[in-house]
Amino acid sequence: MGHHTSVKKYTEEDLFRMVRLWLPEENVPKRLRVKDTSDFFRVDYDDIVMLGGTPYLVRNNERERRFGVEDEPKFWVKRAVNLVTGRVKILKWTFREKFRGRVGNLVFDCVRSPLKEARILNIVQGRPDFMHGETVQDSAGHLLRIIDYIQGKTLPEIVRAMTPNHEDFFRDHYPGLLSEFISTVEAIRFLHDKGEKHGDIRRDHLIRDSETGRYRWIDFDYNYRHRASKFGYDLFGLGNVLIFITGGGDITVQALSMEAPEKLAGLSGEDVNIIFHNRVANLKKIYPYIPEFLNRILMHFAAGAKVYYESTGELLEDLKKARDMLPG
Amino acid sequence: MFALTDGKGAVTNNGPNADARDKHLLIAIDHSEDSKRAVLYVAEFLGGFPGFSITLLSIIQVPEEDFFESGEERAAWLKNKSEETDLLLSNYRQILIQSGFPEDKVLIKSCLGDADSLSGMILSFKCDLNCCTVVVGRQHKSKSEEFLFGSISNQLIHEAKNCAVWVIE
Repeated sequence: MGHHTSVKKYTEEDLFRMVRLWLPEENVPKRLRVKDTSDFFRVDYDDIVMLGGTPYLVRNNERERRFGVEDEPKFWVKRAVNLVTGRVKILKWTFREKFRGRVGNLVFDCVRSPLKEARILNIVQGRPDFMHGETVQDSAGHLLRIIDYIQGKTLPEIVRAMTPNHEDFFRDHYPGLLSEFISTVEAIRFLHDKGEKHGDIRRDHLIRDSETGRYRWIDFDYNYRHRASKFGYDLFGLGNVLIFITGGGDITVQALSMEAPEKLAGLSGEDVNIIFHNRVANLKKIYPYIPEFLNRILMHFAAGAKVYYESTGELLEDLKKARDMLPG
Repeated sequence: MFALTDGKGAVTNNGPNADARDKHLLIAIDHSEDSKRAVLYVAEFLGGFPGFSITLLSIIQVPEEDFFESGEERAAWLKNKSEETDLLLSNYRQILIQSGFPEDKVLIKSCLGDADSLSGMILSFKCDLNCCTVVVGRQHKSKSEEFLFGSISNQLIHEAKNCAVWVIE
């Protein structure tokens, strides 16, 4: 974790020269303003911020992207260009918030913690299955994370672009996809073994790095107040991702009622997701060629589940067996 | 991460002044109604009978450091929780005494837990104190709640060795 220290002084002329190295002439700002980093609201597009002695040219605020809808901008998360290397970075200022998380009918305490993300960034250095970055202090002494931008598509973008026919998808793409998913579960097991939770496991927090071809977990600044089971919520997230990839997308009760009412009629209350009752977990009832063993894993996350996974290790063991049973 | 007290500020590692032949029960409690039910059950079931000693145990589940803005905030939280817990333990001890347990056979203990495994901590106390029975109140959780957050009583039932586990409905 570095400290904010200005090692080198840059003149305005130096900064312009550096900006021109990385930006096309038409995008070079007319004025360059070096901004104090203590307040992210005061840092705007085309501003320069100095972090750990390195100048960064600030671009747009990042937005929460989910289910194809763009939410409000996250003013504390800004894209920027490292003017020494030209690398694109994501700057995440400290923005602590405590809130009551809600999943289905359940409510629990959550926090957005820069400290947690900084801790995990430190732990996962060098691992290809997580986003990378370093942590410095802003001019107010708060933690500011400088994250390497990952070029690539999110898991749902990739899955939805695969063939629309599920049987073809399941035969041609699913075995590889399941192997890739297993690698991402291995990554979460690594975190759990270190005593850390991801905290916000969602399908769109997996990006397939176009350089390495590997999926990488992003955004681990959330923490939830666990009770008897420290990693239960993370495991639930993994189950949701597994059901999503196995269905080649969400199989919802609403969609079935429109497109396959006869299949909907064959479902019982036990066949849906244990929390999200509009999503089908018992996918074998929709796609009968899904192997029994694989479907049994999905059923651990169904409303009718009698047993739950207690650890990522248990889930991994079953996933690997299921993968070995698939052709290809 | 243990800090044992007898509820009056004294640190102790010993069990109650139990006769070696006493059956020693460990009642694990928190601030829930479920715990209250467990205490009342033991009071009603065993109060007044000779040959039993009780330790009331409360583990304060301390949130991870991420939930506090500063060390001061965490310290204040701990102080507040410790006071609440000591008061609760003291009240439950009185209930047991009023039900007929001798004063010297009801001890109270509180400790801080980082909550990686509350059931593990309870069972560790069970061993240290040489208890033959662990008593907890059953939390009435929905299936989805148990799925996401687990269940202490289920964990105890599965993990306990060489002792009985009473889960009070």
